[in-house]
Amino acid sequence: MYNHTSKNYMKKILSIVIATGLLFSCVSLEEDPQSFVTSDQFYKNGDQATAAVNAIYRKLYESGQSLYNSLFQIGVEMATDDYAAGPRARNANVRAISGLTHDPLNDRMEQLWKQSYDAINVANIAIDRIALINPSEINEVLRTRLINEAKFLRALNYFNLVRWFGGVPIVLHETASLSPENLYVEKASEDAVYQQIIQDLTDAENLPATYSSANVGRATSGAAKSLLSKVYLTREEWLKAANKSKEVIDSQTYELFEDFADVFNVATKNGKEHIFSAQFKGFFNYQGNSLASRSAPFEPPGINGDYADMINKPGKLYESFSANDERKAVTFVTQMISPVNGLLYTFEPHLHKYYDYAAVGSQGNSSKNLPIIRYAEVLLIYSEALNELNGPTPEAYWAIDEVRSRAGIEKLADISPALTKSEFRDAVFQERRKELVFEYQRWFDLVRRGADYYVATLKAAGKANAAPRHLHFPTPQREINLNPKLTQHPDWVNF
Amino acid sequence: MKKLLPILLFTLIIGSALAQQAVKGLIKDESGQPLPGATISLKGTSAYAITDVEGKFTIAATKELPFTLQVNSVGYKTQEIEIYELSGEPAEVFLKNDNILDEIVVVGYGTQKKSELTGAISSVPEAVLKQPISSIDRALQGAIAGVQVTQTSGQPGGGVSIRIRGGSSIQGGNEPLYVIDGFPVYNAASTSGAISGATINPLSSINPSDIESIDILKDASATAIYGSRGANGVIIITTKKGKADQTSINYEATYGVQTLRKKIDLLNAKQFASLRNDALFDSNPAGGQFQYLTQEEIDQLGSGTDWQDEAFQSAPTQNHQLSLSGGSGKTRYAVSGSYFNQDGIIKNTDFERLSTRINLDSRPTERLNVGLSLTASNTKANVAPSGIVSALLTMPPTATVYEEDGSYTLRNPFENIFSNPIASLNEQINKTSTNRVLGTVFGEYALLDGLTFKVLLGTDINTSKEDNYIPSTIFEGATNQGSASTGFVNSSSWLNENTLNYTKDFGKHSINAVAGFTQQEYTRDIVRTGATNFVTDDVTYNSLQDGAVTTRPYSNNTKWALLSYLGRVNYNFNKTYFLTASLRSDGSSRFGKNNKWGYFPSAAVSWKVSNEDFFRPASRIVTNLKLRASYGATGNQEIGEYQSLATLRSLTYLFGGALVTGFTPNGISNSDLGWETTNQFDAGIDLGILNNRIGITVDAYYKKTKDLLLNVEIPWTSGQATSLQNFGSVENRGLELGINTINLEGKVNWNTSINFSLNRNKVVSIGGFSDSYISGNYIVKVGEPLGTFFGTVTNGILQTGEEATLGAYTGNATPKAGDRLYKDISGDDKFTTALDRTIIGNAQPDFIFGFTNNLTWKGFDLSIFFQGIIGNQILNGNKQTLELFNGQQNASTSALDRWTPTNPSTTIPRAKLDPAPVFSDRLIEDGSFIRLKGLTLGFTLPKPLVERARLTNLRVFIIGQNLLTWTKYTGFDPEITSGNNTVSQGTDAGIYPVSRTISGGLSVTF
Repeated sequence: MYNHTSKNYMKKILSIVIATGLLFSCVSLEEDPQSFVTSDQFYKNGDQATAAVNAIYRKLYESGQSLYNSLFQIGVEMATDDYAAGPRARNANVRAISGLTHDPLNDRMEQLWKQSYDAINVANIAIDRIALINPSEINEVLRTRLINEAKFLRALNYFNLVRWFGGVPIVLHETASLSPENLYVEKASEDAVYQQIIQDLTDAENLPATYSSANVGRATSGAAKSLLSKVYLTREEWLKAANKSKEVIDSQTYELFEDFADVFNVATKNGKEHIFSAQFKGFFNYQGNSLASRSAPFEPPGINGDYADMINKPGKLYESFSANDERKAVTFVTQMISPVNGLLYTFEPHLHKYYDYAAVGSQGNSSKNLPIIRYAEVLLIYSEALNELNGPTPEAYWAIDEVRSRAGIEKLADISPALTKSEFRDAVFQERRKELVFEYQRWFDLVRRGADYYVATLKAAGKANAAPRHLHFPTPQREINLNPKLTQHPDWVNF
Repeated sequence: MKKLLPILLFTLIIGSALAQQAVKGLIKDESGQPLPGATISLKGTSAYAITDVEGKFTIAATKELPFTLQVNSVGYKTQEIEIYELSGEPAEVFLKNDNILDEIVVVGYGTQKKSELTGAISSVPEAVLKQPISSIDRALQGAIAGVQVTQTSGQPGGGVSIRIRGGSSIQGGNEPLYVIDGFPVYNAASTSGAISGATINPLSSINPSDIESIDILKDASATAIYGSRGANGVIIITTKKGKADQTSINYEATYGVQTLRKKIDLLNAKQFASLRNDALFDSNPAGGQFQYLTQEEIDQLGSGTDWQDEAFQSAPTQNHQLSLSGGSGKTRYAVSGSYFNQDGIIKNTDFERLSTRINLDSRPTERLNVGLSLTASNTKANVAPSGIVSALLTMPPTATVYEEDGSYTLRNPFENIFSNPIASLNEQINKTSTNRVLGTVFGEYALLDGLTFKVLLGTDINTSKEDNYIPSTIFEGATNQGSASTGFVNSSSWLNENTLNYTKDFGKHSINAVAGFTQQEYTRDIVRTGATNFVTDDVTYNSLQDGAVTTRPYSNNTKWALLSYLGRVNYNFNKTYFLTASLRSDGSSRFGKNNKWGYFPSAAVSWKVSNEDFFRPASRIVTNLKLRASYGATGNQEIGEYQSLATLRSLTYLFGGALVTGFTPNGISNSDLGWETTNQFDAGIDLGILNNRIGITVDAYYKKTKDLLLNVEIPWTSGQATSLQNFGSVENRGLELGINTINLEGKVNWNTSINFSLNRNKVVSIGGFSDSYISGNYIVKVGEPLGTFFGTVTNGILQTGEEATLGAYTGNATPKAGDRLYKDISGDDKFTTALDRTIIGNAQPDFIFGFTNNLTWKGFDLSIFFQGIIGNQILNGNKQTLELFNGQQNASTSALDRWTPTNPSTTIPRAKLDPAPVFSDRLIEDGSFIRLKGLTLGFTLPKPLVERARLTNLRVFIIGQNLLTWTKYTGFDPEITSGNNTVSQGTDAGIYPVSRTISGGLSVTF
């Protein structure tokens, strides 16, 4: 037994032990992340609103095979007469699209759908939340501009979706919770989707015409009007298409480069002809244009090309260019000098628009922008719309001949002044093909001319599997599995 | 083994009464307490007696003197007493107890006698702990029933994946919780991302030679006290403590050599050249048969470069351990220092550990007990960069390591571009260095008789630096003229546990209760930065400012906290009926704000049938029989931090050629996100036969894990692909058997232990509207186990003339004889990869076992340990690339039998420049193996000899690890899986192979 002194000593020790135990106040279970912001903390001022909109631009090519970096090429353009899966395109899904054997399980279809809706959701968040920012925290001019930029980008993505898949679900607000009504949205009609696109683009027409140099690359009113003219053209609303493209032409904001090569020169990017482009920069935080790499050859040592995007030879794209067409040398390459051994290699024509000689051997770092819409196309829209309205008027000839003259080829007015409406239509489509090759336009153009034209053209180009259902892509099976309200495109049911 | 238990003394008092011709006696244990229930038998007769509650017995002496009495009592070693005369005088006999049933087992927040356990807990055998290994989790391979250990990489210091009673989580962590001297650690590697290749196992910073015991808690009754971290089982590691009045200095050294078990058979230069010629000819017949090399050129080729020989080497490994332990009076101590070094069997890879430890225990007063357990270590590893193993397999034998001018051959010269693996190994710096301090201190105070209060404080501090430099002289570094990156990971965790423990016996009732409050917090910071475009390769990662271009820096901070209340009561009546109940309530920061708290109860009963009176007649054969049953709930919180929140991440875009920042959501918030709960039922039998010379433990269990933390797929129209929700369930059912036998005792001691376990895993439900989802080469499907391979089924080779009839089954647009044929599973009369896939195998074994024999004779000791995994399949990922036969990269020797018009093979397709890789059943192989995992032969020098040299003990030994393996698997080694993911277990693709090691060493005690 202990005596009194040792009992006191014990008490002391006991109190120390207990005190140590209680020394630590309880840990907090509230999560307060230091390296992340949560959406409730964000969207509070002008800078954050700007960042919210910047993110939508990045969704043009967020990572890997992303929409405007290569997905458009391998997921859409492969299904045309101009392109085929190259020897290095080993992916079975890509080869399926190239051979038109793709189905609702094809993962490139899935990515087209997924990435577009990702961008739309980020745009929805920006539109909803920027509107709620306290007026003391944001300049109203900036607020309006940012919301309109978001609407432009939302419209661009819906415009792609509706052309690929037909009617699609219209989602216009942030998916903020996992409730069924938020998650399961049914398809709207094509017309309803187009009405939404037109409404967003009409709002976006209020964007600034130009930006300060630090903001070059943002959507402008010209971009909104140009895209809107293309929407009307696609809907065969010829008068509206002609008027809207005329507005762009008359604004005198844009001009053609004198030299076609400048359209793809790094030094002249965001120049007078460029209306809206996906912005790329090589050796700079993984923001290079990888199309250059995909189309570059692998034979010459040191070029390190992938050659996954190849010209579909039976489509005779290369042969369609006349020898004096200045676009030919910019669009294709048939010879390269190896940076390793200095020897000259000659090969079949490879696509070359995005090849950056500042990134030889590392074409994933090409700094060339990808034009989403440029002035040459607006001229061709104008020409086409006028012809559909009134036949080949001098004004229609003028517009197409602007593009032809710049390419160094004869004016249509000089060599074929008396074309019929139908012949003129063919001429415009042929001009679009040559001017805009490798700029993600061919599939849309073929589809615009209807099933018979599409199927006939592809069959003539050696793609025997072409069928009328290929005017649309199948709705991804995954989405149908996960969303009880979603249905397959009728052409893709029991195909 | 439980040296914690002091030698027990038996006092046997024998009296006699001549008149009745009977022997009377009294049996007591060391503490003087009468020992009831002991069996006394008269050897050579059937006569026996059992002691009563006062420890007394009377046995009829039905045999002539002298005779022998044998005393058996559960928990004590059998003693034989020779009776020469019935003198009437009591005799005192001292008995040594080494009976396994009274081992002390460490359980959560306390210890228990093995004989009193209600749950399923296994201790790792001592022999297993003696192997020289880089980290302690490797010791568990094959050692314990119900525990499957697979290496994720043969990289020295690399990781292992442990599954206790099967994997139960699809997307959460499946690794068990480690409790090291009271400190709970989830063994997940954190990397800054500065280096590539296998991650180094964090547990490798704990020196295995310091470990005294490992106890594995398997059923819910044992693990529920760890609540939200108990679902994957708990591994309790206790390090060596000093012994009072027993000072010893021990030095142990081991040196070994490791070799590759086997090489993969690949084409030599001649064979490869012919393959490439065939592939080129196939793609361009107009170019002729010899587009790569002419027959003359081929004839001049030798065997070419054997890239495996260039990369693999025999590699030394060594371990030195100096330890000092002892104590006097109130204080005990154990200190140690050790050095471990292992070179890899792949060039320029290694692992090194320096560690020190101090364990202190002191009892300054009778009521107070304080202790410290502290280890500090530094580990360094040179890691094989990722892609090395596949590159050294596929690099063409016609390529050379160096060009004629002495510079490196940069890359595969053909269409498939990858870099020269030897250049990467020689020139790339890819290393990591970690400092770790892990320590716990406790104070324990006896408040009242039987009631103690304990406070434990602990910290675990980890600091890693990772460095990578890729010089401009090799392919990977050429495009950006040298690239350096360096990263830091600092993590620290602190723990505070406050527990009250109450132990009391009331007559035949015993109670032991613990109640406590604990909290733990973890913080981790990561910083990574780098630079490229160096004018010199000399400064590597040490002068980033010399690089012309700076890599975008990265930093990150995460934190989690856990707050818990726990309680457990162990009750037993008469050491025969046992009851355990426990409850833990955990609050975790990781879950949604509506679901922070989880409650994890458990209950267990056991009945020691052999203590019952009615069992007495059988007790001479069945010494011990105990039945156990338990049920309880445990949780899993391994989902990472901030998952319930709608966090944003930054991305960048370009305006005016300059970077701008954007913010985009990572997911949709889920305030209801909660625990993954595993309910487990366990029933077991512990059996001791023939005086416990045969010990058998059988356990059967059923585990159902529900509310799985699952990234449920949601429609993309939401802007997200998945959202983390509690959805779905997985079940595991299994049977475990452990047998320990003492075959011989005396001059030769021989004991055997066998463990056997089988587990059946099944997905019960998953989220969304479908019953399955495909994840790469795997499918997660209701009714099927996790780790199910999903692929195509090969169906022979297309022969000449069959193009029109069977061509659609090749999947090629223009079928050609020699193409592989596949089964049409969807029934659409053609083959497509997407539609024609089915279940083609599973990575889960039918059963696993371990089989150990230990023999001692005079000074020799021999331990032979076999391990086996039977019935699992492995996805041989290397084979996929090695059987492309595209002539762009090397191929396996199966290419020699490839289809040609003159060799119409029905199994191996033709050479083809541009084949699409198809995942088929051809890549699924039987992964079963039986392996001589460990063989140890030791010799302890005779005492007189040793003492002349003024030593206490000297033992020399040789140890072989992975010496022999019987398997049909064609890859490097069957004991492998890439990564810790349960869904994609059993893939062997580009993994650093496991080595075979032979070592010798000595252990000296001064």
